[in-house]
Amino acid sequence: MSLAEIFDKYPDRRYIMYGGKGGLGKTTFSAATAYYLAKKGKIEIMPNLYACEVDADRRIEDYQQEIRQKIIDMYGMKKIPEEIESYIKASSAEPAMEESAIFDAVVDIVVKGDFDYYIYDLVPLGHALYYLSMASIYDAWLEKITTLREQMREYDQAIATMQREEETQEDEIYKELMYIKDRIGTSSKIMTDTKKTAFFFVVNPEEMTIVDTEKAASLFARYDVPLAGYVVNRVINRDLLNENIPAYLRNRIDMQAKALDMIDRKLGTSVLSMVPEFDSEIKGLDTIRKLAEVMFEEKLS
Amino acid sequence: MAEKEPQKKKKKAGGIVGFFRDFTYGMATHGMARHALKTRSSMEHLFILITMGDMLGIPILPPYYSLRLLPHVVPQITTWKRRMLREKDFVDSMY
Repeated sequence: MSLAEIFDKYPDRRYIMYGGKGGLGKTTFSAATAYYLAKKGKIEIMPNLYACEVDADRRIEDYQQEIRQKIIDMYGMKKIPEEIESYIKASSAEPAMEESAIFDAVVDIVVKGDFDYYIYDLVPLGHALYYLSMASIYDAWLEKITTLREQMREYDQAIATMQREEETQEDEIYKELMYIKDRIGTSSKIMTDTKKTAFFFVVNPEEMTIVDTEKAASLFARYDVPLAGYVVNRVINRDLLNENIPAYLRNRIDMQAKALDMIDRKLGTSVLSMVPEFDSEIKGLDTIRKLAEVMFEEKLS
Repeated sequence: MAEKEPQKKKKKAGGIVGFFRDFTYGMATHGMARHALKTRSSMEHLFILITMGDMLGIPILPPYYSLRLLPHVVPQITTWKRRMLREKDFVDSMY
């Protein structure tokens, strides 16, 4: 199957993700896919295509500030108590803080639902995997504390009855927990929804990359990420062999030939597209169009 | 939450009927209520331990969202810390 056929056959897949090691071409492929989908949908690119880079550090800072403000408002404090303040400060260095902030931002964007397609140029593999594994831990953690909170509520009610008080207050923490549950549910669903999500791996014809990607793919599969296929990038044109080229290039082509064999053996029909190495950087709409034409094997104007 | 109890007790009715009502309450349920309150506050502390444990150096895995809970437990943090660090057997303090 080709890349174009995938998009044709599954129009509901609106969350498109490119994953892979750093520097393989995820960003350019994301741009080319956006271009292609816009052209296909007969959408004017200029006012309708948006790109957004999540600034995780900034988001974490804003979030911490929001928490501080909430404490100040709730208790009419002038200043945050020192131990609380140092806890908030230390939290930014916690593991997975960055990943969580990024995915939280993604949920914000997707929940608004303003767009036809959402294309994620994912952070390198490790981060995405880390987040997915976090999501399952979050789930277990939430399950535990929600149950505890429910038990606490039962006690509250029992105490209120015994002391003949009226209704117990609404549990703000419980509401907060439900909110968190919803957010985590939404973010892991975006990555694992078989109907709406298509996850593409980008590989280069290099042995190390193939091995690493294979490993990552099996890990992603474990977290139920719907893998749609692979796109191979930076394939050097073999026709060059007929020309008078330096040994360096000849060797590179040989090396790639071996790697391409390996790709064929290991990934076979799940390779959706082969993209050649371009002779200049992919930058600007013109080159993106050229790339999209090769990727989707279709003339776009 | 448990700390808010004293303010709420003012609602009781006065008069003879009120007196007898309070009297029966004291005989029958006061002990139970006290026990329930104690258990409830242990649970509160357990809850803070699971959500804010890294304040005492116990690593808590998902820090991003647990920060959202922080504002709600601010008043209890000090008592919680005191209690957690006071108990001789750490496990005792959890239940």
